[in-house]
Amino acid sequence: MATENTAWQLEDFVDSLVVELDKTRETLAVKAINKPLSYTVKEVALDLNIFPSYDGDQITFITAQPGQEGASKVSIQLGSITDQQVRATSKTPSAKGDVTIDEIDVDKATKKKLRKLGVNSVDDLQQIEQKNVDLKKVSDNSVDYSTLAKQIQKSKRDQNPPRVRAVSLSIDEDQKPYLVIKGDNLAIDPVFNPVAVVNKSLAGVMSSSPKEVKIRLDSAHDLTDNNEVILTFDPFAVMKVNVKTGTSAS
Amino acid sequence: MREDLQDSMIDEAFMPFQRVLEEMLSFNGEFVDEEAGVRTYISRYEIESPVELDVVKDENGELHIGSTPPLYYVDTTFRPSFHKLKFTAEITREINGD
Repeated sequence: MATENTAWQLEDFVDSLVVELDKTRETLAVKAINKPLSYTVKEVALDLNIFPSYDGDQITFITAQPGQEGASKVSIQLGSITDQQVRATSKTPSAKGDVTIDEIDVDKATKKKLRKLGVNSVDDLQQIEQKNVDLKKVSDNSVDYSTLAKQIQKSKRDQNPPRVRAVSLSIDEDQKPYLVIKGDNLAIDPVFNPVAVVNKSLAGVMSSSPKEVKIRLDSAHDLTDNNEVILTFDPFAVMKVNVKTGTSAS
Repeated sequence: MREDLQDSMIDEAFMPFQRVLEEMLSFNGEFVDEEAGVRTYISRYEIESPVELDVVKDENGELHIGSTPPLYYVDTTFRPSFHKLKFTAEITREINGD
């Protein structure tokens, strides 16, 4: 007799069923190489006796066991589908760097609401926005794209944080000193001008790019052995660097 | 390795769903009468069967579906819960000239 069945979600069950069916199809494909007659599974249907339960968040099912009566019936039918149909009816797989809804720092209720709307990633959300769909209306005022957009930017930035590799002191043609910060993912927002504060005094940013930021220095910055440089590359990336006199940074 | 894990998790009286389908598909679909010179083959068949299920979840939260046709043929106090499996198989390759 089987051990006690575990509760499952319909999505997980269908996923497992599809995996099993795929394996069967692979086996049959190998068999077809040598067999003059071969068969393929066209349709699989399962009528399940199950007990559903709803915990206020999601519905789970437990398959009925011996002696259990009064179970509900769920019918699952898997038909065969061509590659072309898969392409026409399936969503493109998530691109590298796409942020899932789970990674965004928003409350559980909003995530749940987004999932109900079929939004599972930031990419989905942006596609909806591009089609001028008013999320506020379709979600009964509970989801606002502009609020989410900030969270999305933050999540994306968290995945690509700025990294400082070297800091050096240089002098330009007019014999004026400036700091050169080199690294990766520094000033990546083209619409935001980075802000630099050296020894608690605002410093002008001469130029900025994802790989390099140049900061103008003057007497107000009062350079000593240890200097504090605070860099705001964009609203979601603020970095503090200690620059020792000379060329080293920590 | 995954299959071993799957096998060990599912109750020993049950087998992975894949194997149930494969077993049902492993038949000789060709009938030959050489004397009469007649060759017949099954082009499509459907099976509808009661099955028992054992659904288990591994430590990664992945579900494994164990299944078996009815195990016992005697009346018992507790009747097993029979789910229904129906599947259709079709021939994919025919003998040349048929």
